[in-house]
Amino acid sequence: MNQIENTNENNKFLTEVFRKYYFENKYFPYLYSIEKREFGYRRFDSMVVRHLSFKNIGELVAELVRNVPLDVYYSNAYYGFPSNPINEKQWEGADLIFDIDLKDLDIPCFQDHTYYVCNLCGFVNSEHKLCVNCDRGKTSDISLPCKRCFTAIKKEAGKLHEFLRSDLGIQDKFIEIFFSGNAGFHFHVNDPSIRILDSNSRANVTDYIIGNGFMCESIGVRKYGNGFLIKLPKSGIMTGWRKKISSSLGINQKSELKLRHIVETNGGYDGFRNEINRIAKKFGVQIDSQVTNDIHRVFRLPDSINGKSGLTKMKCDDLESFNPNNDACLLSDSEVCINLKTKLKINLKNCNFKLENTIEKVPSYVAAYLICKGLATISKNQ
Amino acid sequence: MSIKLGSSELAKYPFLQEASDYIQETKFGFDEFDRPEMIHIINRAAEKLENELKGKVYSNLDEYEIEIMTFLVSLLLIKSIGLEEVSKKCSLFEAMRVEKFLSSDLSNERSSQKKRLLVEKIFQELFNINIDFDSKSSICKLSVPDYLHRASRMHEQEWKLINRSVKNGFVYLDIDEAVRLVRNELSNLIYTRIKNMKVYDVPISIKLKADELRKKYAGHYVHRNQFKILDYPPCIKHAMEAINKGENLPHSARFMLATYMLAIGKTEENVIEIFKNSPDYNEKITRYQVEHLAGKKGSHIKYSVPSCDRLKSEDLCYAVRECENLINPIQFGRRKIT
Repeated sequence: MNQIENTNENNKFLTEVFRKYYFENKYFPYLYSIEKREFGYRRFDSMVVRHLSFKNIGELVAELVRNVPLDVYYSNAYYGFPSNPINEKQWEGADLIFDIDLKDLDIPCFQDHTYYVCNLCGFVNSEHKLCVNCDRGKTSDISLPCKRCFTAIKKEAGKLHEFLRSDLGIQDKFIEIFFSGNAGFHFHVNDPSIRILDSNSRANVTDYIIGNGFMCESIGVRKYGNGFLIKLPKSGIMTGWRKKISSSLGINQKSELKLRHIVETNGGYDGFRNEINRIAKKFGVQIDSQVTNDIHRVFRLPDSINGKSGLTKMKCDDLESFNPNNDACLLSDSEVCINLKTKLKINLKNCNFKLENTIEKVPSYVAAYLICKGLATISKNQ
Repeated sequence: MSIKLGSSELAKYPFLQEASDYIQETKFGFDEFDRPEMIHIINRAAEKLENELKGKVYSNLDEYEIEIMTFLVSLLLIKSIGLEEVSKKCSLFEAMRVEKFLSSDLSNERSSQKKRLLVEKIFQELFNINIDFDSKSSICKLSVPDYLHRASRMHEQEWKLINRSVKNGFVYLDIDEAVRLVRNELSNLIYTRIKNMKVYDVPISIKLKADELRKKYAGHYVHRNQFKILDYPPCIKHAMEAINKGENLPHSARFMLATYMLAIGKTEENVIEIFKNSPDYNEKITRYQVEHLAGKKGSHIKYSVPSCDRLKSEDLCYAVRECENLINPIQFGRRKIT
């Protein structure tokens, strides 16, 4: 569901700026094997159209310019017949995609810039989860991520990148990192040897990345009656998760005595297992496992506009220097008047906007951002 | 200097191409099994098969000619018995027999060339796994995707990638683990060979033995899979409680709940009824989705209940003590109908 207040003025404004964007940015360089992908899009009335296919970028752009969707999606899967019903598409493989979202990270400042927008009347408040205006509507949480939020999520993305490269051995040429266009990062892995992994194998990978299911036995601690015994595995404890855990405990392949002492200090096998789970959580990455495990999912198309923010799903070559609110803000600068539903401060395209009046004149990219978030509407008086 | 598999290897690994070549070279005909001197091979194959049906690995090892013939007769017997359960169980135990020999050969064989040849024949030629075997440390190295294709079908927690030694895209296994990894595949290979055998003229002596074994074992498998459920597992109870309170269940929980209910024999109507309390309930959509999961709409594939492992990673697991050692919620609280 989108938060845009459904008025003719809003839809007309967004349609115009989105169309202009697609007309001027008609390249989609990170869209590979277009003829094998299923496409879909969400219209401004929230209806979803799926099972589309295009032979080339030209056909896709023509569709985008003609119909101007709110969001555009394409399948991670490669199909023999992408426009057929799902059971007749002939699955040939799928990119492995990871999604890290701000809402899944426990960031202290997140609530400070979260607004509650009523799903019925569109009223905005920053304190109550039930609408205080119409008293009937449930609200949606709308966040305007700040610099600290992006720093935290980029750190998480960096951890994921390291897992993919060092543990799973995926070469950099097969990893593409995208800012999702709203509050997250997507990692697209298009390594041909990974493409054919089924959903169970992908679940195995997601558990590896998250840190789910590490057993004490993997670093040599086994339950024995009411106690435990130490028997280090022949294949060693100095690689992968075994290394992460053993380094954190300060042990190596020769530290049987030290390991015994650590287990005893933690109160035996069960206490040690709890300690291991705590360490695993610290080293793991907060990804959405259902997204990665799904081999038939549609994902936001790289270089398309995110209808939740008006920002673009943007390739990110250097995580550290990437500034989402600047680098992914590509809509036009022409000014329009908006009706603001709440006072707020934002930074877009490296400019600070302190918006305190009910009616404000702002660049189109600011207007689009706030309308998509449900925090403003286009003013009838331009 | 090239090195070849010797007769002792053919005896242990009679499914290899070299063993088939041996049969062809000797120009042995099926009708020769009816000769009196072949009866001991048929009896040996039957003994092996009965061992396997009792859940025992047949460890006796004879001359390679006898082993190759025994293997061939075993396949013919299993095919002629014609019981799915017998085919599956015997394939698995034949694979376990191979696993035992292979682990021992890779650990104890002195010639590192011979070890490499075995790895090449079994892992690379048979299963297309590029495995790098260090004969000094006896550690095997294979790519993460090769590992995942096999290990993701194994339910024990120890086979999860997170519990493995992983570095730079490779998984490191000791010999026993590497051999165990291909057991299921070997079992499938033998099962597929049995299934694809086209035998029009089974020798009388084998047919008679097969009839005898079928009579003896057919009864064991008639009611084997009938169970009743005495209690719901905690994951299902939790989802039911949430839905009864009118909470919005995530898609994955709805999938779990619906597939579970269908798997224990509830009708589609019963399942749709369960979802009536959902805040976003829409009968038309729910009906379509439930019928889809039951295999009556769309792909016409009946969906299975997600494994406990999958539910854990989707945060849907609320395991209690009774859940220990289960691999699927469907196993919880069920009792065999006698």
